Amino acid sequence: MTGPFLDIRRATKSFGSAVVLDGVDLGVARGEFVSLLGPSGCGKTTLLRIISGLLRTDRGDVFLDGEEIGGRPPHRRDVGVVFQNYALFPHLTVAENVAFGLKAKAFPASGIAGVVSRYLSLVRMSEFADRSVRALSGGQQQRVAVARALAVKPKLLLLDEPFSALDRKLRETMQIELKRLLRELGTTAVFVTHDQDEALVMSDRIAVMHRGRIEQYAEPQAIYDHPATAFALGFVGLSSRIAGTVVAEEGPDHVRVRTSLGALTGRGRFMPGSAVVVGMRPERLRLCGENEGESGASSTIGGENAIEARVRDVVFQGARVQIHCDAPDDQPLLVDCPAGAAYPSPGDTARIRWSVADTLVLAQEGHAPQALAADGAAS
Amino acid sequence: MALLVLPAVLYLLIVYALPLLLLLSRSVVGPEGFSLGSFAAFLSDPFSLRVIGNTLRIALMVTLVCLVIGYPVAFALARARGLMQVLLLSAIILPLSIGVVVKAFAWQIVLRRDGIVSQFLVGVGVWDEPQRLLFTETGLVLGAANVFLPFMILPIYSVVKLIDPRLMEAGATLGASPPYAFRKIVMPLTLPGVVTGAAFVFSLAMSMFVIPSLLIGDRFQTLATLTGRSFLLMRNEALGSTTAAILLVIAVAIVVASTWLARRLGGSS
Repeated sequence: MTGPFLDIRRATKSFGSAVVLDGVDLGVARGEFVSLLGPSGCGKTTLLRIISGLLRTDRGDVFLDGEEIGGRPPHRRDVGVVFQNYALFPHLTVAENVAFGLKAKAFPASGIAGVVSRYLSLVRMSEFADRSVRALSGGQQQRVAVARALAVKPKLLLLDEPFSALDRKLRETMQIELKRLLRELGTTAVFVTHDQDEALVMSDRIAVMHRGRIEQYAEPQAIYDHPATAFALGFVGLSSRIAGTVVAEEGPDHVRVRTSLGALTGRGRFMPGSAVVVGMRPERLRLCGENEGESGASSTIGGENAIEARVRDVVFQGARVQIHCDAPDDQPLLVDCPAGAAYPSPGDTARIRWSVADTLVLAQEGHAPQALAADGAAS
Repeated sequence: MALLVLPAVLYLLIVYALPLLLLLSRSVVGPEGFSLGSFAAFLSDPFSLRVIGNTLRIALMVTLVCLVIGYPVAFALARARGLMQVLLLSAIILPLSIGVVVKAFAWQIVLRRDGIVSQFLVGVGVWDEPQRLLFTETGLVLGAANVFLPFMILPIYSVVKLIDPRLMEAGATLGASPPYAFRKIVMPLTLPGVVTGAAFVFSLAMSMFVIPSLLIGDRFQTLATLTGRSFLLMRNEALGSTTAAILLVIAVAIVVASTWLARRLGGSS
């Protein structure tokens, strides 16, 4: 039987009465870079600690490279970790930090210096070898932490929000650098983050986590284009979301939804009466002038949905322009179009059109009203 | 800003430094003016060397006992939460409010031939018959260690509390077993606290006067008890100020050396 390289089955963990992981399955292929993406409290860090052995599951198994490792202590797992605060040893120099794991694993003393200098040069920290780690900047500390974790050649590298302490510019550089380094070394990595941009940039696959479960596990593009749940739609990328109730099925895989903006048609399979969220990506919406298209109430015409809305804000972002609109009932809608085209000014009334194929219909989450738009930008 | 420490400096200068200087000057000012004769005489006397040896040996033993007992307690205190932490802290700090004389008398009862220690050791079969620990060096070390223990625990505790628990986790994920990680990560990081605590206890144990008087008696002299006797009983100010000067030199050397060492080892990050 050959399962995935890292294979987590039905992992369950509770702290007191709080269920933090609720039967999570996750498979990671050799050499793959997988992100666990979710808001704080979703269980992603708990899952990371379970893989590293710093926590044990209540139930469930962890297999790595065909071996069940769930019962082993962390120092016998071959799983490296880059911690959020880097956890460098403050009493040791940069080189001694990197050498620590090699010495702990009784690596032949004669070879240690060579390995240390190789990994320090991989993270471009060679000239800092004899410095105290206390004197390093955040980005330098992160490089040392990565070198320290990789020097012992772990089977799997775990990264716990390693970029959160860095400023934005440095973060982007480090992301690309780390991604390239891990690809060169062929390292399998699991990365925890609450930052969707980071996950989209770095990952081969993303596991979107929410309330102790994995809501969707797929490639970044698939999650963006075909979110499996209303949560995944809201958490990954920007979107406009409108709550509604399914009134009728319309041919295969399409339903008609009654919303506060009128009836909309979208992709999805639901029984009439289901509570759903209608979601659209901002770049799929088009703005038409007031006189273009048909005027009147919102309607579904020729495979398109159309809504009339007031423009609240126009945000110029260089190559793109974001237009924040208020549809009737104060329903926010976000439209993203290339800069250069003519676009309306705040206060104008505009007609927004988009294809039925770009209209996602997803089940409403629990009891929470899902009528938020564009809050992905804040996270 | 310098003005803020002026009152403290003046106070120390007038009521402490000046009298101390006057006192110490007696050790180098003889009838014929300045002379180091009293030091030469003192240091060439075998009895004096035995007194210095007693002082250093007892101080070292007390420091070691405090370290062995206090080190794990400092960790327990740092890990404790809530009520447990309050209880532990009070158990360590409250005894400081009991006078040394009271404690020394209590130890006299404990260390007697029919005291609890003797009875216990006979009871579990370590000793064949009751023995007296009172008026022995062992008894003195036990009693003194009890009095000075908080001065070992608190500096170590303050350092342990600052150690990031993730350092041990990082060690574990790098392949270090818990004992290895403790030895290579936690222990080096507690060293500044150990040095500070040891310097405290060593200086205190070296200069203690009441505890040896009550627990071991006059047959056993240290620099501190000899200084006391010289002034109070023998009225020999030259001898008393000589021993006081030697005591002071050793104490200052320890404080300076330990401060330098603690700094070199680096405190918490």
